[in-house]
Amino acid sequence: MTGIAQKLASNQKQVAISEFFEKNKHFLGFDSLARSLITAVKEAVDNALDACEEARILPTIRIQITKVDAQKDIVRMVVEDNGPGIPQKSIEKVFGQLLFGSRFHAIRQSRGQQGIGITGVVMYCQLTTGRTTHVRSKIATEPTAAFVDIGLDTRKNKATKANAGREIWYNEDGSGKEHGTEVTAEMKAKYQKGRQSVWQYLRMTSIVNPHAEIIFIDPDGEKHHWTRVTERLPTKVESIKPHPHGIELGQLQRMIAESNDLNLNHFLLNNFSGVTNRARKELCEAADIPGTRKMKTVKGDDIRHLLEAFQGERLFNGLPVKLLKPPTNCLSPIEELLIKKGLSKTIDSRFVSTLTRVPSVTQGNPFQIEVGLIFGGDMAADKPVEILRFANRVPLMYQQGGCLLTKAIESVDWRQYGLDQAGGRGVPKGPAAVLVHLASTNVQFTSEAKEALADNAEVMEEGRKAMLEMGRGLRKHLEKKKKMAKTKEKFELINDILPAIAKKSAEILERPVPELSGSITKIMSAVISETTTEWNKQTKQTDVEIVLFNYTSRVRAYTILATWPEKSGAKMENNETGGRKEALGVWAWKLESLQPGERKSIAYSLSGLERGDWTETEVLFRGSQDVIGATKMDEKFLQEIRRQEQIMDESGVDSPEDEGEEDEPQNEPEKKEVAEVPAEETVEPAIAPPEGQRTLFGGDV
Amino acid sequence: MSRTRTAEETKTAMHKVVAEMYDRIVKGEPPTMTLPVRTKTNIGFDKKLGVYKYGKKQSVRDATSLGSAKQLLRTLHVVEFIEEMLDAGKSSTLREMYYISEGWGMGKFGSQNDSNNLAEDLEIVTKCLREDFKLRPEEDGARMIGNLTLRERNRRGEWMRINARDDVGDSGYGVPYNVELEKIELLEHDIDFIMAIETGGMFDRLIENGFDEQYRCGLLHLKGQPARSTRRIMKRMSEEWDLPVVVFLDGDPWSFRIFASIAYGAIKTAHISEYLATPSATYLGITADDIVAYELPSDDLSKKDVEALNAELTDPRFADSWWQEQINMMLELGKKAEQQSLAKYGLDFVTETYLPEKLAELGLA
Repeated sequence: MTGIAQKLASNQKQVAISEFFEKNKHFLGFDSLARSLITAVKEAVDNALDACEEARILPTIRIQITKVDAQKDIVRMVVEDNGPGIPQKSIEKVFGQLLFGSRFHAIRQSRGQQGIGITGVVMYCQLTTGRTTHVRSKIATEPTAAFVDIGLDTRKNKATKANAGREIWYNEDGSGKEHGTEVTAEMKAKYQKGRQSVWQYLRMTSIVNPHAEIIFIDPDGEKHHWTRVTERLPTKVESIKPHPHGIELGQLQRMIAESNDLNLNHFLLNNFSGVTNRARKELCEAADIPGTRKMKTVKGDDIRHLLEAFQGERLFNGLPVKLLKPPTNCLSPIEELLIKKGLSKTIDSRFVSTLTRVPSVTQGNPFQIEVGLIFGGDMAADKPVEILRFANRVPLMYQQGGCLLTKAIESVDWRQYGLDQAGGRGVPKGPAAVLVHLASTNVQFTSEAKEALADNAEVMEEGRKAMLEMGRGLRKHLEKKKKMAKTKEKFELINDILPAIAKKSAEILERPVPELSGSITKIMSAVISETTTEWNKQTKQTDVEIVLFNYTSRVRAYTILATWPEKSGAKMENNETGGRKEALGVWAWKLESLQPGERKSIAYSLSGLERGDWTETEVLFRGSQDVIGATKMDEKFLQEIRRQEQIMDESGVDSPEDEGEEDEPQNEPEKKEVAEVPAEETVEPAIAPPEGQRTLFGGDV
Repeated sequence: MSRTRTAEETKTAMHKVVAEMYDRIVKGEPPTMTLPVRTKTNIGFDKKLGVYKYGKKQSVRDATSLGSAKQLLRTLHVVEFIEEMLDAGKSSTLREMYYISEGWGMGKFGSQNDSNNLAEDLEIVTKCLREDFKLRPEEDGARMIGNLTLRERNRRGEWMRINARDDVGDSGYGVPYNVELEKIELLEHDIDFIMAIETGGMFDRLIENGFDEQYRCGLLHLKGQPARSTRRIMKRMSEEWDLPVVVFLDGDPWSFRIFASIAYGAIKTAHISEYLATPSATYLGITADDIVAYELPSDDLSKKDVEALNAELTDPRFADSWWQEQINMMLELGKKAEQQSLAKYGLDFVTETYLPEKLAELGLA
C-alpha cells in the first residue's frame, strides 16, 4: 500500500471521489456537521504541530471559526501557524494529494495515523460548498509568501489550483511574517459547544502539547488562549524497522516482493528489528529455507513458513526462535512533568499526579502508557470524572465507552483511593479528571473511525497498573492533607493559644507566667515534620526544607526519605545533610538522634527544573514511632521503583551483540545500530506498516 | 434573690476555674476545665427538689485539641471581662459580650451561640447565676394576660403596679428578662390556674374568645422554647400563689421537649432546674390520642421528628409510662398535629369544646 491515490488510480472502475468520500465519510471523520468541523480543525492543527516539531520550532497556532451563513450551516475555518512553511511547488501536493508524505510508511509514533489528512478537508469543502481552500505559506528563505486556491476536480479525481501568486505577509501588528502556513476553508458544518467540540479538541491538544501556544477565536468572537508552558519540544522520534512478531502475511509478501536484498540472510538482518545473527540462522532453519536463497525465489509456501517461524509456530530445536524486543526509543512520551503542566494550565485543581510507565512491547510493537490525574478545585464532585484519552498525542473524543483506555480506568476500584464509584466498577465520580495517553508505533483501533482503542491485554495491564499507582498517589495526597490540617492546628495550639492561656491565667490570678515546655510535650506527644517545597526566584532552583520536631519525652531515631524528580533530570544541590540515594528519585538521610524538644532541618535545592515543575515533596520515614506529616515507608513501593529503575537502566545501556542473548524478561538491551537507521531508509523500500498503522483501507494491495 | 452572690464571692468562684488551668500548666500538663456532662445521659431526678439536675458525670475540657484550647482561652477572656464589669458596676448583654469578643484576638467567639454556651458553662462550674456575672440575655420574654396583679420596678427605680387584664393592651403584659424579687413582686390574683400556650396564634384566639375570663385563668404565651425568665415567672406564680399550671402545645416531638423543660428542667440549664422548673405543670395537649380522638388534620412525621421521638424514649425525663405511651403512639401513627388544626371544627371549637373537655379531665373546668 503506497497510498490511496495509487490505489484509486489502479482501480479500473475509477470510483468518483465524491462517491468514495460519501461511502467512507464515517471513518474519514465527516459523518456529522459537528464532527466535520472538528475533523477539519484537527487535520490542520495536526499538520501544524507536526511541521513545527520536525523543524524544531515552538508552535503558535491560531484558529478562528466564523459563521458565514448560519441558515445553510456554512462555516469558515482559518488556521494559521508559525511552522517552517511549505515551498510553493509543494503546496499543491500537500493539500491536493491523498496521503502525501512519508509518515505513513515509517514505523514510528506519529500523529498522522488518523484521518486522511488535510486533503480530506479540501475535498469536503469542495463537495459541500463548491469552494476552494485558500492556502498561504511562507518559508524563511523567501521574502514573500506564496498563495493559491486548491480544489479538487471531482470528475478527473485531481487537484486543481487557481489564483496562485505571491504577496508580502503582514502580521496583525504590521510586521512581516517570517514563516508559517495559513489555511482558509469554507465548509458545511456546525459549531457546537461541550464535550465534543472544537474547543474541547483544542483544550485536549493543548494538554498533551504543552510546548504549543494555541489561540482559538470561536464564532461568538470569544478568545480562548492556551499558553505555552514549556520551551521543551517533544523529543524527535526515531523510526524503527518492523519486528517479526508484528508482521502479517500480506505485509511479508510485499516486503519480499519489493526486496533488493542479496538473499534471505540479508533480508532478515536488514529489514527487521529484534533479529540477531543467531536468530537469523535459527529462523532460516525453522522455516526450512536456506539463508542463501535469492529473494526472487522465496515465494508461496516459503513465505508462509517464514511467517510461521516468526510467530513461533515453526520451531528451532523444539523451541520457538527467540527474538530481541524491538527498541523503544521510537516512542515519544509527553513525560510526567509536562503532562502535569499541561493539565495544570488547563484545569484548575488542588492536586495533580502524573505517571509515565516504562515502555513495553505487544506483538512486536513498542508502546508506552502515560496517565495523569487532577483532583479538586472547581470540578463537580457529583459527576463522573472527566476522561481525557489520547493516542500518540491526538485527542480521542468519540466512542469513550468502547475504548480500551476507558476500560483501564473502569477496571480500578477507585473507592479505595477516595473517589466515588458505584460497586467499585465503571467510571468513578468525583472532582477529578483522568488522562490516559498511549504512545505506540502501532495504535490499534476498534474501527476505522479511529476513536476508540481496541482491546489488548498488555496495553490494558499497563494502563491498569498506571492507574493503581496514580490512585495510591491520590489517596496519599488526601491523607496527607488531612494530617497536615491537623498538624497545622496543633502548631497553632502550642504556638499561639497555649501561651495566651498561660499569660491570661497568670494575669487574672496575679501570679508569674508559667513555663510551657512540659505542657507542649504532653499536648503534641509526637514527632512532627513540616516540609516546604518552594521555587526560588533568585537561584532559579526549587528549595526544599524538611523540618522535624521531637515533641515527645524520648530520644528518637529515624531514616527520613524524600521523593525528588531525578527521572526528569533534576540535580540535588546544597544538600549539606548528605545522605544517600535510596532508589531512583528517592533520597535518604539518617537521623541518629532527635532529642526531646529538638528541631532538625534537612535542606537542599533542586536544579534543572522550571518553575512549577516540582511543587510537592513526599516525605517518608523508617522508624518505630509515627511522624506526623510524613508517611511510613512502604517497602513494596520502593521495590516497584527499583524494578522500574532496573528496566530503564538496562534499556538505556548499549551492550555488544551477544549470541547468547535471549528474548527473555522484558529488559533485553537492543543493539544500538538497529535503532538508528535513518527514517528514509525504511521509507524508500516502501515497507508497508503493520496492521493498525494503515490509515484508509487497511487491507493489502 | 436569695442566691445572689457578692462581687467578691463571684470572683473567688471564677478564680477557682482559672486556677485549675494555671496549676495544670505549672505541673507540665495541658490546662483543663472540668465541668458536668451536659447531655441527657447525665441528668437525674432530684427527689428533694422534684426536678432533673446534672448527675456526677464530669467531662474534662483539655487543651489537647485546638477547639478545646480556644474554648479555655475564651473562658479566661470572659472571666476577665466579668471582673471588669463587677469592678465598674456595669452589666452587658450576652450579645454585647459577643461583639466585645471581637477584640479578644484568638479568644474571640465564633458565634453568638458560643458565647451563650460559655456563659452557661461558667454558671455551672462556679454555681453562680449569669445575673451574678452581670450578663443579661437577649431572650424574648413571654406575654401574659389575666386577672393577676404584680409590681415591677421600672428604669427609674419606681415600683409600678400592673394588672395583667386591666392595665394592658391586647398584646398583654411583657415579662422582663429579670423576674427576681428585686425587679418583680407578685401581689394578688383572682384566677384558678395558669395556661401556657406555645403559639401566638392560639394565644390570640383564646383572648379574642374571652377564654381567660370565662375560665378564670392566666394565659401565658411561651413563644416556642420558653426563655429562662418565662419559666422562672411560671415557677414563681405556681409556688407563690399555689396555682396549677397547664401547658397547651402543638402535638409533636418538639412540644414534648418544651413541656419537659417547663416541668422537669431543661438539659442545658439542669444546674438551675430548681429555679426554673415547675414540677406541678401538666401537659394538656395536643396529645397523640387527641390526634385520633378529634380526627385532627395532621402531617407525616419527618425523619428528624422520628429521630427526636426515639431520643425521647431514652430521655429520663420521659421515663414514666404516660409519656412512653404517648411517644410510642405518635411513632405508630406517624403523624403530628398543630394546635391550630383544631380550627377544622370552627374558630370556637377550641374554647367551647376541646379545652373544656381537656380541663374537665383535670378537674379544672
